Amino acid sequence: MPGNRSLSTQRRGVRQDVVRLLTLLLPGLILLGMFTFYPILKMFIMSFFNWRIGYQQTSDFVGLQNYLAVFSDPVAGMALVNTLFYAVVTVPLQMALGLFVAVLIHRITRFSVTFRLLYYLPVITSWVVVALLFRYIFNNQGLLNYFLKDVAHLADGPVRWLSTRWMALSATTILGIWKGIGWNMVVFLAALQAVPLEQYEAASIDGLGAFGKFRYITLPNIKGTILFALVMLSIGAFNTFTPIMVITGGNPAHQTEVVLTWMYYQTFSATGKMGYAASLSFIVAALVAGIAILLFRFIRPEGEGKS
Amino acid sequence: MNRNMLKPLAIVLVLLLVGLTAACSTVTPTAAPTATPVPSEPVTIQFWHNYDAGAGQIDVLKTLIAEFETANPDIKVNQVYLEWSALKNNVIAGATTGMLPDVLRGDIGFVPQFQSLNVLYEMSSLSDYATVAATVMEAPNSSARMGDKFYGIAANTNTKILFYNKAMFTAAGLTVPKTQDEMWTDALKLTGSGKIGFVEAWTGVWNVGQYIWSNGGDVLAPDNSTATGYINSPVAVATIQKLADLYKAGALSGPSMDPGAAGDTDGWKAGTYAMEIDGPWRPSLLASSGIDLGAVQMPAGSAGSIGVLGGEDFMMFKTSDAKHQEAAWKFIKFMVDEKAQVDMAKVGQMPVNKAAMTNADALAAMPLLPVFAEALKTAKARPVTPKWGDMENIIATKVAEAITGQKAVQKALDEAATEIDALIAAK
Amino acid sequence: MKRARLSKALSYVLLALGAVVMVLPMVYMFTTSLRSNDATFSWPPRIFPTGSDLTFANYRYVLSEQNFVGYLSNTLFVAVVTTLATAVVASMLAYCIARLEFHGRRLLYGTIITTMLVPGLAMLVPQFELAVTFKLVDDLWGVIFFYSAWMTPFSTFLIKGFIDTIPRELDEAVRIDGGSIYTIFFRVIVPLASPSIAAVSIFNFLLPFEELGWSQTILKTDALRTMPVAITMFFQAHNRTDWGFVFAMTCCAMVPVILLYVLLQRYFITGLTSGAIKG
Repeated sequence: MPGNRSLSTQRRGVRQDVVRLLTLLLPGLILLGMFTFYPILKMFIMSFFNWRIGYQQTSDFVGLQNYLAVFSDPVAGMALVNTLFYAVVTVPLQMALGLFVAVLIHRITRFSVTFRLLYYLPVITSWVVVALLFRYIFNNQGLLNYFLKDVAHLADGPVRWLSTRWMALSATTILGIWKGIGWNMVVFLAALQAVPLEQYEAASIDGLGAFGKFRYITLPNIKGTILFALVMLSIGAFNTFTPIMVITGGNPAHQTEVVLTWMYYQTFSATGKMGYAASLSFIVAALVAGIAILLFRFIRPEGEGKS
Repeated sequence: MNRNMLKPLAIVLVLLLVGLTAACSTVTPTAAPTATPVPSEPVTIQFWHNYDAGAGQIDVLKTLIAEFETANPDIKVNQVYLEWSALKNNVIAGATTGMLPDVLRGDIGFVPQFQSLNVLYEMSSLSDYATVAATVMEAPNSSARMGDKFYGIAANTNTKILFYNKAMFTAAGLTVPKTQDEMWTDALKLTGSGKIGFVEAWTGVWNVGQYIWSNGGDVLAPDNSTATGYINSPVAVATIQKLADLYKAGALSGPSMDPGAAGDTDGWKAGTYAMEIDGPWRPSLLASSGIDLGAVQMPAGSAGSIGVLGGEDFMMFKTSDAKHQEAAWKFIKFMVDEKAQVDMAKVGQMPVNKAAMTNADALAAMPLLPVFAEALKTAKARPVTPKWGDMENIIATKVAEAITGQKAVQKALDEAATEIDALIAAK
Repeated sequence: MKRARLSKALSYVLLALGAVVMVLPMVYMFTTSLRSNDATFSWPPRIFPTGSDLTFANYRYVLSEQNFVGYLSNTLFVAVVTTLATAVVASMLAYCIARLEFHGRRLLYGTIITTMLVPGLAMLVPQFELAVTFKLVDDLWGVIFFYSAWMTPFSTFLIKGFIDTIPRELDEAVRIDGGSIYTIFFRVIVPLASPSIAAVSIFNFLLPFEELGWSQTILKTDALRTMPVAITMFFQAHNRTDWGFVFAMTCCAMVPVILLYVLLQRYFITGLTSGAIKG
């Protein structure tokens, strides 16, 4: 702890530095204010209007009508369930697999850079590309069906992977997990490298096995990273758009719609329901915020209290 | 931590600088957006379209624009390709802000929709509109009419006929179907061992309307006042039921019913699909695939062979100033003239220009032109009403639910009728 | 000791198996790009093209007839400027929030975190209105400003987390020597936080190679299109077929991204070790 004298010098210094502080803050404030905060505010206002687009047309204030419309829309409900399904399946699985890969890479001494690159390849490939690729692979006449039918003889006809709601969503979650493993690997690898070696040495003396070490030393040490990944990936899962748009386009009959694709559809539906789309996005934001708060409640990292 | 931590930043910086110089050297000339034109400089008009690159139409368009620019040195045309839905979305997004093109060539169905956004320029107010309109066929041009005013001019027209894979028909010992019932039976017979009898790319009225109409039904009342008793009539239900049965038997497929199904062009190329009711672009899309394609009139239902009228219109926008509107209209006149229409016919766009319809070059390039001209005589336009886009989306969703077996056909179509009527009732 | 060696060998085997799963789709993409378009849906599908099948025609087409170099340099230009702008703005913000006291500091941080929750695509319409107001439509700067604004919250969040781990005593030392907050920022914070700045820069650099919704809305002219827009438009303009072309294009587009990752991956991991690192 710094002494009283230095604290007061610091305060005085800060006051003198107001101009410097502003020059550091302003670029960020202007950028965010103009291009992020303002559009969000505008969206919020739009969500209470029957937002009429069209050249020089006026919009009517409708109160909570857009929000009510979202809650009574069966497709919005279906899209929400689909999004939750995607989140609940992809988030834990990609974290578990990513952590597993990270632990393995952390243990080996050679080729670790090569493995890191190979596992990271899907992450640095754009969503459009991998989604097109998976659509091509899951196609009725695609590679997967060829293996199942003609190589492994597990199916007698082509499996219509993308033709029904849960099958198509499962295919998309496989893509989500496959693409996410690399990101989790990097994040967890970073966390693993920060675990103090002495703790492992102490544990070896205590006779703890590999699993015990993982359970009692690694896991508690990377709790903060787990929370970080959980929150970031949950936000990401609720923002899923491209894979659904490319692979199914919400077809058949909106069965595979997720919240963002449904919002997009409404925004650009024939009459452009901007108000509806705006209220849907705020409902989603509220939901994500709720989930994030819950996660922080349940997994509070002990070491984080120092700030 | 004893490693020099500035090193990564230095690497990033160097990479960024290298990238920046590499990028700048090529970007700078194009990055500058066209500023507001100075009177002495040529007028640049923005032209949005969805001509098909796969069929070579964009190359033809570029040649045509070059010819137009040579003839009119004071006008530059900046052509922008946007896919069908992107074209629509960009106009919707631009409608709020006035960020719109000077000329757009898009689906005839866009006219009522864009007109409801209050963005279209009334082209019948142009002094020589009637003269130009007289050179194009009346039926396709009626798609641009709202009331007694015209908000566009026909760019090209089409309707759909039956295309079939000749080799597959020969192998199955089948002859070309004469009626729709025969067509469905043949689809079943042609299905099996990886082959699929029939493909429909979507489930909107663009796709299923022709079967309902050909059997004496309709989707909306003639005055567009209600859907009840039309989209859920016994004729419509029976027609969609046939499609549902075919889908269940695996004899009907398409990406909007089964996202894993090959798209129609992919499937044709792979020799998967045996039949499709499709438009004049189909042969040019399969030009290099080696598929022997047969084409005849769409087989008749109980009330005849009534196809759907398709095509595109040129539209102009209120947001352009007088100078740009004048240039835009010049360009449109060039595009509906015989020369441009014949050139586009060579790459699969069916002309609307009367002279081009009988032009020897066009006929040579598009041997199916007479077949389409015949089909056009009975082709039916989709309802022209401002909310048609939303209505067709409802029908597409409900028909897809019915065909894929998520709902009973009657129930799905009843729901469609209720939803459409609610839409009509809303102000 | 023998057990340890055995488990290490097992690690290699498992990693190799996993790597095959990770890479197989990419290999498939690459080999498909080497086949003619009409062969891409032929049955049976093949992972490796046979000799007669093999063609570089797709690459020749993509690299010569398509404006590939133009798309790539557009994307690079956007990526470079966005990355630089975000790095500067976010590290300054992060420093202010982590170290300096001012009114509304908590509110600012809270707002920045909250914006990460609102789906970016949702703001499409108001953002487009803004772009029109500032005459940024059909201009690469329109993409750059918005990308920088989007990436700033997450970058600030990560860099701030890293700055929190830098001992405050270092700031104090500079203060006592009479340095201003500028001096602290440039002498202490930027050098010590540089791994995290590098890490977020890699994330940010990837965005223009990835983002579609906004860039497609704002970049209309073909000469200005970035890679993802070009790929999507190309695919759609070719009636959603011609997979050979598309995959050839995507393979080429991946090269600069892979290069960047290979060069910087070491710092990537160090930079992410936020919150837990011991100084």
